[in-house]
Amino acid sequence: MAEIIELNQAGKNTSPCKLHPQSMCPAFGSLRILTRLEGSHPVMATDTGCLYGLTFVTHFYGASKSILAPQLGTAELMSGQVVEGTRAAIEVAGREPGVKLIPVVSLCVAETAGMPEELLPKKSGDADVVLVRVPAYAIHSHPEAKDIAVAALLNRLAEREGPVQEKSVVLLGEVFPADPLLIDGLLRRMGVTETIFLPGRSIEDFRRSGRMSAMAPLHPFYKESMNVARSIGMSIAGGAPVGISGTYAWIKSIGSILGLDEALVQQVADEERAKATAIVAARPLNGTVLVTGYEGTELAYARMLVEAGAHVPYVSTSIGQDPLVLPDELWLKSHGTKEVIYRKALEEDVAAIDRYSPDLVFGTTPLASVAKERGIPAMYFTNQLASRPFFLSSGMAATIEFVAEVLTKGDRYRFMQEFFAD
Amino acid sequence: MAPTVIRDLSDSSGYWAAIWTMCPMQDVHVICDAPVGCFNLVGTAVPDYTDAIPHIENLTPATMTEQEVGGKGTADKVKWTYDNLSLTGVLDNKHVIVVSTAESEMIGSDHSSLVKQLGVGTKFYYSNSLAEDEWAGRDRVLIWLWDEYGAQQRASVARNPLSVNIIGPTYGCFNAPSELEEMKRMIEGAGGTVNIIFPYATTLADMHQLAAADVTVVLYKEFGMGLAEQLGKPILTTPYGMKDSNAFVRALGALLGTSVQAEAFIAHEKKTTLQAVWDLWRGPQGDWFSTLDVGIVAGLGLAEGLERFLGEELGMKIVFSTARPRRPGDYDNEATRQHIHKKAPSFLFGSMNERIYLREAGSRFSNFIPASFPGPAVRRAVGTPYIGYRGCVILMQEIVNRLYDGLLNFLPVDSAYAAARSNAGAGGQPAAAPSGQAGNLRWSNEAREMLDTELQKLPYLPRISASRQLQMAIEEISRQRGATEVTAELVTAGLAANRG
Repeated sequence: MAEIIELNQAGKNTSPCKLHPQSMCPAFGSLRILTRLEGSHPVMATDTGCLYGLTFVTHFYGASKSILAPQLGTAELMSGQVVEGTRAAIEVAGREPGVKLIPVVSLCVAETAGMPEELLPKKSGDADVVLVRVPAYAIHSHPEAKDIAVAALLNRLAEREGPVQEKSVVLLGEVFPADPLLIDGLLRRMGVTETIFLPGRSIEDFRRSGRMSAMAPLHPFYKESMNVARSIGMSIAGGAPVGISGTYAWIKSIGSILGLDEALVQQVADEERAKATAIVAARPLNGTVLVTGYEGTELAYARMLVEAGAHVPYVSTSIGQDPLVLPDELWLKSHGTKEVIYRKALEEDVAAIDRYSPDLVFGTTPLASVAKERGIPAMYFTNQLASRPFFLSSGMAATIEFVAEVLTKGDRYRFMQEFFAD
Repeated sequence: MAPTVIRDLSDSSGYWAAIWTMCPMQDVHVICDAPVGCFNLVGTAVPDYTDAIPHIENLTPATMTEQEVGGKGTADKVKWTYDNLSLTGVLDNKHVIVVSTAESEMIGSDHSSLVKQLGVGTKFYYSNSLAEDEWAGRDRVLIWLWDEYGAQQRASVARNPLSVNIIGPTYGCFNAPSELEEMKRMIEGAGGTVNIIFPYATTLADMHQLAAADVTVVLYKEFGMGLAEQLGKPILTTPYGMKDSNAFVRALGALLGTSVQAEAFIAHEKKTTLQAVWDLWRGPQGDWFSTLDVGIVAGLGLAEGLERFLGEELGMKIVFSTARPRRPGDYDNEATRQHIHKKAPSFLFGSMNERIYLREAGSRFSNFIPASFPGPAVRRAVGTPYIGYRGCVILMQEIVNRLYDGLLNFLPVDSAYAAARSNAGAGGQPAAAPSGQAGNLRWSNEAREMLDTELQKLPYLPRISASRQLQMAIEEISRQRGATEVTAELVTAGLAANRG
């Protein structure tokens, strides 16, 4: 029988046009990491509009750190003074007390005008000068710019000489401050000799990372950094200690990569699985949740919420599709998630609210406001989820307890919506 | 010419000026020729924290990627964006404006021809973002909007007697809702009515009505004068402090022919709103003002206004004042930072930048009062103006309450409570109890001078309490180390411990 072709496509569920991309300015990801390092004094090469905005968000979300920049207006850009100005700013940065590192963050207009690395100094006094290229038109999302910054620092600073510390691991990803302590404690019980968490406050950690035996990226967008680690000869442990199955698999994978005592690893993995299972059993989530942030960690959060009992039909993120995210995507799709969207736009997220009538939305600020206008509980993913303990069974407990709480707040969101309805 | 190095840029660009000036008007839709970052920062990430709005809804990027930058140009992307936005219906009854950004200017994108192929009335605004700052930018875009959407209808506009235009604010103007509210109150008090508030509370469709008013008020001295002059009405600027406020109301009354109402309003304000200033001045609070030193970093109008009200009328010592845009001789951020590092004033009006410099200086005794952007600040309550009569009261009230805070934070509290806290925190281990030893240790001259120098850096009011506290902290450390005399070294150690 011949297939009937619909002539009128109107009213059909076509995917909406991506008009409003959802990402911070990508460069912000690198600035956040670079300003938080003790002894790091960034120089930004860019126009004033960009500089104003990025300094603003960095001073809000990064660190209370003064930021230098060459004046790059029409005159400077057209007369090829980009490098000259940047060198002058590097010189000023080199006079800051305690300066050890001067990252040169090269942005859209400087990259377009040309910023030849060989014309920048390698050092200013004792401080290392490291070029970090993060034009927004080429990087697309701020999580990926974090990777560019970490890779640039590792590339330059990681020690490549000297004995490798046996059974040691670099854990990669910005995490809640309590998480490293717990992960370190667990790994040491399994026989790990040392852990380093990148990126943190210490430049020295980047140097010492080169002599560690393995790297475990906790977030799925550190591919450039992983390439640097591989080039140094480190092994890579995939996945992350998230949720019940994820944590179990990750512990086993770390154990096998580092050649740890199998029985001990199995014991720790079993214990963590038992704890996480008990946490979910004690207070399972119930409801439909959309996980639509722009931090690049959305799939992992969605996976945890699904394991905890929530229905998560739709997940979206700012990062691009990549083999590193694929395991989570496949897992989600085999557990009831209908759509996983990369490089998402506001239109797609709004359409998902229409389609799935969620009980709770974690999203960007524009999306959360759309959900609130409909009386649906909603929060800014970045401020509320990405800033809590997340890893291992204790992180799972903290995160799902929070989500369970918010799921009970529907009345308050409906009240506000009704109050402002007329 | 030697390159200029910027520290913590205070002023945004012509592109930001354009978006923040155009988008408050709801019958505008802007397509920005921008990479994702220029869209996100100006449309969401920053106005979340300057204007307390979730995002600017009538702004869409023609998102620029490697392809466009690498030679393809942005015309196709702008057209694609326009066409697809059109299909969603959001452009219905909107005036569409395509705005350039630094990056689009960098690759030479000029869409003045392209917009003619888009929907009728679509215009291109070249924001000149590589050359213009936000102040020049706002001034120019206000004139451009008038030229493009208002001036032609000027002749047909009937006079709206006794009415007054307010030019400014836009998004990203510090304290705009409150300043606007107080300005409306003062205009009405002087016997006028408010005509058009441009661009904050009008539409492009209504803006030709700017021609109807008798007088134009420029709310922020930093921008808007260009348009005010084109309108050809008498111009007044925003008053700060008591004298200026009276002068403003009188001048407006004279222009409108409502001097009787204006005088009555002044008399009434003195007896009501300003009574708080008179009472605080006569009370013990007023005695403190002349002991205070003040640093100011703010928009030009506010900076000058604070100099006059706090400095000339209340007698505080203005140790530096730097305007946005800077006047000749004003500190740049480098100089402001050095001044704060050397000696932080007891009150600092400023932005996030100055706040950071205070933190770098470890200055716990200075009071920071938000007075300009950049920096996150919710200023949506309309009762906190810095302008006009109410501004005098708010500023005075804020300063006095900060003085109370400083005082209360330095009154002595028994140190046994701190010991008990650290006891509990250390799992029951007994903490070193304060010695509580009577009598003073002997101080070397050098040590005494060091303490004096340190105390001189503190604002006057908390100095007495702080002096005792620092002395005790230093002696405590000296005793712990078994010293019989306080030396310079012990002062250094004590001060460091006290900074903790």
